[in-house]
Amino acid sequence: MSFDFDYLLTQWPALLDGLWMTLQVSALSILLSLLIGVLGAGIKLFRLPGLTQLVALYVELIRNTPILVQLFFIFYGLPAVGLKLSLYWSGVLCLSLWAGAYQIENLRGGLATVDKGLREAGAALSLSSRQFFRLIAIPIAFRVSLPAMLNTAISLLKNSAYLQTIGLAELTFVAVDRIATDFRAIEMFTAICVIYLALVAVLALLAGRLEAHLQRPFQQ
Amino acid sequence: MNTLMSVRGLRKHFGDADVIKGVDLDIHEGEVVVVIGPSGSGKSTLIRCLNNLEPATAGDIVLSGSNGGRDSLARLRDEVGMVFQDYTLFPHLSILRNMTLAPMKLRGLARAEAEAQAMKLLERVGLAHKAHAYPAELSGGQQQRVAIVRALAMQPRLMLFDEPTSALDPETVNEVLQVMKELAAEGTTMVVVTHEMGFAREVADRVIFFDGGRIVECAPPAQLFSAPCEERTRQFLTHVLK
Repeated sequence: MSFDFDYLLTQWPALLDGLWMTLQVSALSILLSLLIGVLGAGIKLFRLPGLTQLVALYVELIRNTPILVQLFFIFYGLPAVGLKLSLYWSGVLCLSLWAGAYQIENLRGGLATVDKGLREAGAALSLSSRQFFRLIAIPIAFRVSLPAMLNTAISLLKNSAYLQTIGLAELTFVAVDRIATDFRAIEMFTAICVIYLALVAVLALLAGRLEAHLQRPFQQ
Repeated sequence: MNTLMSVRGLRKHFGDADVIKGVDLDIHEGEVVVVIGPSGSGKSTLIRCLNNLEPATAGDIVLSGSNGGRDSLARLRDEVGMVFQDYTLFPHLSILRNMTLAPMKLRGLARAEAEAQAMKLLERVGLAHKAHAYPAELSGGQQQRVAIVRALAMQPRLMLFDEPTSALDPETVNEVLQVMKELAAEGTTMVVVTHEMGFAREVADRVIFFDGGRIVECAPPAQLFSAPCEERTRQFLTHVLK
């Protein structure tokens, strides 16, 4: 049996559909995970009573359980307590919550580098804590945390492949689905590997651009 | 002379450490008060209490025109400007944006208005050409001059300086002191903690010798430097003026 390019060409429309779903779910989840990261890191920075412990518990839960279990919990478990989400939103929720926990820790590392003197300077200009966080601390922390945040985003993109286990028609689901009928495993897995590699490369490129932009003020 | 700020019975503890042990002080409009004293005497803590950066343990700090109520502490922040030892410009923002941030967010100025005001202030300290540079591109003296006008952009009624030249190269100390002298000459009310005795002698209306959490002596510079009343002041001055 040889590598059949013609077969791949016939499957290209299906793969494109899968790619589109992977892109949508990943992009949306990356954005939501960043939002969770900013909120969680803020709660930890200001040590908001009650919420701080809740965030710590959330981070521990996510980091110390398998993502597949988290996904099954959301998709199969939550309906039992009356919360039934679609395939799509189950996937987005799972990936966002998973990556959000890591983004909290990534950003916390960056926030730790923000000088205490800047906080006092902000206070002396009568900026509120919230204004200081949004306008000063977060932009500075983003620059420091960006490489770690990119790693998390890349992991999120790759982990979107888990969503095939609940039946969301993303890239890996399409491949596995076709292999079940056509038995063209080498063609399909090669194709989706190349596509995942290309997606990660694009993500890294975008992050590189952003890093150069954030770095500019710090070059003498 | 009108009193701008009145401090009564100010005390500050850090845990068991008694850092400010009861300070009474009136600061008059247009006055320059310079605070000198040995390291660890509490003079930095004193000045940091004056805009509530360190909340006082006990006592009152009242700005004129305020009723001394609860929101007077927020007003204190708002109407008192401060310059720190280590410049503390926001490193990710251009000089211009450093200057316009607070006026736009807190005074509600439109961008054009805030930028026009910022450029005028930067011109005053000879740094208009650096408006679009970032802090890292400026020397320490230049950054400190920006920090001074950044505080002035909020149009404070009182300016606090906490050892503004201590982190600078000896060569650039003067460019910062020059700006402060000009401010004093224009009638800005200032409280300055410094080790620059020349500045104190030349610019201060009153010099406070602060030691052990107390005002040991407070007098016009001519009197304090040449004929101090207290033995402790004399000891300190013989050390630093040697």
